[in-house]
Amino acid sequence: MAVSITGLRNALATNLGTISGLRTAAEIPDNPSPPIAVVTMDGIDYDQAFKQGLTIYNFTVLVIVGRAAEREAQRRLDTYSQTDGIKSGVESDRSLGGLAYDTRVVNLTTIGSLQLNDQTYLVAEFAVAVYA
Amino acid sequence: MAKYVVAGTTVEFNGSDVSANVARCEIVINASEVDTTDFGSNGWTEVVGGLKSGSVSLDFHSDFGSGAISNLLEDLVGTIGTVTVIAANGTAASATTPQYTAEVLVNSFTPIAGAVGDLATFSVTFPTTGEVSYATA
Repeated sequence: MAVSITGLRNALATNLGTISGLRTAAEIPDNPSPPIAVVTMDGIDYDQAFKQGLTIYNFTVLVIVGRAAEREAQRRLDTYSQTDGIKSGVESDRSLGGLAYDTRVVNLTTIGSLQLNDQTYLVAEFAVAVYA
Repeated sequence: MAKYVVAGTTVEFNGSDVSANVARCEIVINASEVDTTDFGSNGWTEVVGGLKSGSVSLDFHSDFGSGAISNLLEDLVGTIGTVTVIAANGTAASATTPQYTAEVLVNSFTPIAGAVGDLATFSVTFPTTGEVSYATA
């Protein structure tokens, strides 16, 4: 089925919004106020069934947990990485409000740092597959 | 249109368009070999075509939605169904998008399949019964 990618992105952000204390954003803000989750497109696998019956949309949820030097940021990262963290939040409505057949957080791909405005932030990237 | 990439094959089962739940489709038509080798064959085997047979293989994406493929096949095991396939990404029979129609015996159905993390799929290979017809209009 044909779906709006913006709609999927917004629906993922809505699901992430169910996580207590976590902000969400459609784009990386200039001055992020952690903890914040940003939904970004990673790639699309077209033609998984005849007549565009299934497309796999691969998103990355970038979670900026705080400044890298903050001990609190490390603890937040631990919490968000648990199965009841980002994974449960994103999968709280796996149909994304009816836009998708299914949604799955596949893995936590990267833990690293992000430079923004002379600040170094601790970030984690979660790979999300949306079947629509 | 000549060569083509498979993307939009039309697959109907008992009149229902199930294309959006199909990831692979294959129709095979065979003729058995009847041996006619004799003393005059000069040391070579000789054969002629015998009875024809066929099969339809489909890879499905499982779907238990109302009227969807998993529910559609659930009650049909052991019965004869009709599979219609329009090749070359066509939506109607034409010279460049021929339509094949086959009566098949639904001799198996795998309602549950798949490992953790995988898309739920199942594959079937149904033998045909009677002629596999071919239409270009």
